[in-house]
Amino acid sequence: MSEEFRKFPPTQLPSIGFDIPPASRFVLDNGLRVIVLEDRRFPMISLRLGFLRGEINDSGDTNGVMSAMASQMTEGTSTHSSREIAELVDSVGGDLSVGAGYDNTVMRISSLTKHFPKMLDLGAEVLLDPIFPESELDLYRQNAIEGLKYQRSQPDFLAEEHLGKLIYGGHPYGINSPSEDDFRNLSREHLLDAYKRTIIPSNAVLVAVGDISANELGMELNARFGGWEKADVSDSSFPEIPNRSKRSMVIVDRPGSTQSNIVLSNLAMKRLNGDYFKFLVMNQVLGAGASSRLFMNLREEKGYTYGAYSRIYARRFAGNFEATSEVRTSVTGDALKEFFFELERIREESVPEQELADAINYLSGVFPIKAETQGALLGLLTSQELHGLPEDYLLTYRDNVRGVSVADVQEAARKYVRPDEMAIVIVGDAREVLAQVEAYCDDISIFNTEGEQMPVDDFVVVEGEPPAEFAGTYDLTVDAQGQELPLTLTLTQEGETASGNMDSAFGEGKLKTGIIQGKRISATIESEFQGQPFELTMNAAIENGELKGSLVIPMMGDPLQFKGARREA
Amino acid sequence: MPDAFEIMTTNAELADIRLEDYTLSNGLRVVLNPDVGVPVVSIAVYYDVGSRNEKKGRTGFAHLFEHMMFQGSENVGKAEHFQYIMKAGGTMNGTTSSERTNYFETLPADQLPLGLWLESDRMRALAVTQENLDNQREAVKEEKRLRYDNQPYGQIFDLLASMVYQNFANSHSTIGSMEDLDAATVEDVRDFFRIYYAPNNAVLVLSGSFDSAVARELIEKYFGSIPSQPKSPSIDVAEPDGVANRYLKYHDKLAPLPAFLIGWKIPERRSDEFYALYLASKLLYDGESSRLYQKLVKGEESVTQLFGFMDERRGPSGIIIGAIPKPEHDVEEIRKSIIAEIENLASEGPTADEMGKIRNQLSGDEVMARQSSLARAQAIAEYTLYDGDPNLINTELKRLLEISPEAIRLAVAKYLATEDRSLLDIVPGEAE
Repeated sequence: MSEEFRKFPPTQLPSIGFDIPPASRFVLDNGLRVIVLEDRRFPMISLRLGFLRGEINDSGDTNGVMSAMASQMTEGTSTHSSREIAELVDSVGGDLSVGAGYDNTVMRISSLTKHFPKMLDLGAEVLLDPIFPESELDLYRQNAIEGLKYQRSQPDFLAEEHLGKLIYGGHPYGINSPSEDDFRNLSREHLLDAYKRTIIPSNAVLVAVGDISANELGMELNARFGGWEKADVSDSSFPEIPNRSKRSMVIVDRPGSTQSNIVLSNLAMKRLNGDYFKFLVMNQVLGAGASSRLFMNLREEKGYTYGAYSRIYARRFAGNFEATSEVRTSVTGDALKEFFFELERIREESVPEQELADAINYLSGVFPIKAETQGALLGLLTSQELHGLPEDYLLTYRDNVRGVSVADVQEAARKYVRPDEMAIVIVGDAREVLAQVEAYCDDISIFNTEGEQMPVDDFVVVEGEPPAEFAGTYDLTVDAQGQELPLTLTLTQEGETASGNMDSAFGEGKLKTGIIQGKRISATIESEFQGQPFELTMNAAIENGELKGSLVIPMMGDPLQFKGARREA
Repeated sequence: MPDAFEIMTTNAELADIRLEDYTLSNGLRVVLNPDVGVPVVSIAVYYDVGSRNEKKGRTGFAHLFEHMMFQGSENVGKAEHFQYIMKAGGTMNGTTSSERTNYFETLPADQLPLGLWLESDRMRALAVTQENLDNQREAVKEEKRLRYDNQPYGQIFDLLASMVYQNFANSHSTIGSMEDLDAATVEDVRDFFRIYYAPNNAVLVLSGSFDSAVARELIEKYFGSIPSQPKSPSIDVAEPDGVANRYLKYHDKLAPLPAFLIGWKIPERRSDEFYALYLASKLLYDGESSRLYQKLVKGEESVTQLFGFMDERRGPSGIIIGAIPKPEHDVEEIRKSIIAEIENLASEGPTADEMGKIRNQLSGDEVMARQSSLARAQAIAEYTLYDGDPNLINTELKRLLEISPEAIRLAVAKYLATEDRSLLDIVPGEAE
């Protein structure tokens, strides 16, 4: 049975059109714009009320005001406490939240249709009558400071922290989080001031999708938001974004890190830009997905990483392009080589017709999937309105994608991907990484995870250093998944080779090989456990008679860390 | 079948999900859920194999195998699976849990044949080579480094599972160990494929915009001739009474703050007691009005983060509550507070207001979950694979809504208000 039909991909079925129906638009007397898309597929309604002010509009002396103000709006009104608000929302199984991003502040409400009037009552109350209790702000402050400690342990947070400064200088787009001091400085006055400047009807747009008509929603809104008074919108000014002319690199030292988080970036475009679709399609070819070039090269061909991607951040006033991957430490330099290879290739060579068609097919085909649920459709519409995109933006999106040519892709790559002036941030073990990456950048600085700059020389591994004195007996403690196990190691030394034996909970063993390089020793140890021979690998460094390193034991998972001191002679 | 997507303008009731359930002659169970909405279709293929089926010395194998399923088959080249799906404008993935390995894609409705062609080709003739195995072994090791080894708190949930469960089938991690990953051979991959990736060990679900007569024809064409295999070896996931280990102190050198987890062993998914505990868990830690959030985050202001989840399995399952305490607060006191709240629930039971609240939440969640064709396909596939009954997607909500406050009280008293639990203390820094 040959089953010839299996040899080639099948032809498509007749296609089914997808047109998002037109939304209704109206404006309340106080200037609030309203957009409604009636969608009766499910008995639920979702709504977003977006304001054209966000984290970048934080007042000069303290960062974090806008996001604190947003989150505190649901923490108390004249009539309901924080707890009562949470109870009311949960008691109908709905959602109510307010949050701030760089450009916008957005209130989100959703619930089953039958509970929607109740949710809208509460939404109006939270919007028009928040009291920002001191006690809730105090709790917010404490939790934000603790949360920051957790954030600082995340490699991608550390990478973005430095990258923001390198790309945006003093512009608020460069701030990835308020500092501990910022949180301490937050006062109720800050919040009241930000509230007054932000929660203004003419500076907002309300978008709703769901089981409700424009007329019905109009009546519900007039009853609740009619009394919301007009106010003038104040302007903000921002520091200049610096021009970069050459590469620079920051390494954030995270000793013992098994991976390097790599981010490469340059300034690109703001969201309203005629080149947007060219850039979008170029990025799809280069790195947006699992069939894009970066992923195919760094993961599928080289096996350096679990994923490698490029991303576009296009905001209201500016934006940047990023290429990122988390790779194992030993291939950090090799990964940079492949990144630059791909970044140059898309600039220098025309993208093959088929590859372009694939990227376009993806972006155009996936569009209905990204609009399948009520929340997803609402997200697309809200984003369109907050960015000031044309009313038919979603309707013409697929045509715009399909109109991008081979020449457009190259033009976008040349304009918006600029490897010679990229900022590069690597979060990883600086001692292991530095020598691998020096060839790619003349301007390297190193910071610790607390943001303090370190002398680069401290991280240079010296070749040809004389071997340290290792001979002696060591009482070591091995950390085996939280359990502490004793291990005794006796070493004898001849120049750069070591021999000796080990006694431990994993049995007794003998050094098969032992190589000393400066203050480092690497050894294999032959041992036996329950009659089975096996081999351990040890890597360690000595400092003032203290030996510290790791042990790889077959069947025990990841390397175990150990340390301990040499016995007095 | 309309020729264009239309958003309905008449009010919708939450009607039963339409299902067509049948089995091919080779044993492949098929469930169709045609639904006129956005013109997309989701395909879910669930294989009855997860880490619970792994042998000692081969931990992580089910997940490594999942990666191999994207490395090509007789008529689909290496890594072309991604490419075919993406160039058709689709999304896809695969995941591995203790219970099953799943593969799924969402495609524009007219690309249904492509999805069926791809899924059938790898079910019938996977390309297994040493090169693919070596390459994916490295990708999995990077995944392990990324998600587990290089993350603060990255290993604590696996560690807790090893404390709660005694049976190796339940207690070992899905990601596995580096050594076991290294030990996997091409022969292991071939055996695993033959035994577990047979049509009679799988479920195929379609949900979304399609004509069921057309779909049936395509499914027969692509899957009908794949030979069935002898039944896979049965496994025993039964647990002796009691957790494996009641206390462990773990040093996490990447963790910035101390934290703790408490884990309990509970009855299997869909049992009356599991459902009662599921409702109890919503009362305890789900949302800002939950008891523990209001008590610890708000009232005592003793923790910055509080979380919990159910480890839902076909055999003995788990429930986990964790917290990140504030520095100046005594961890012991916080735990006493949690236990006191559990004991209160065990003696007083939930209030009438709480019952009203969770019932409204369950109904809301159900509507949310039904919106996406992929979410529907996945839920149907689980009920079909685990319980042999896809229609449970239409009837389980009713069962949940009928759970009484007394049933919740009794289940909490029996399974949570007990000393038989695992406590994992996570301490920042290296072991002293």
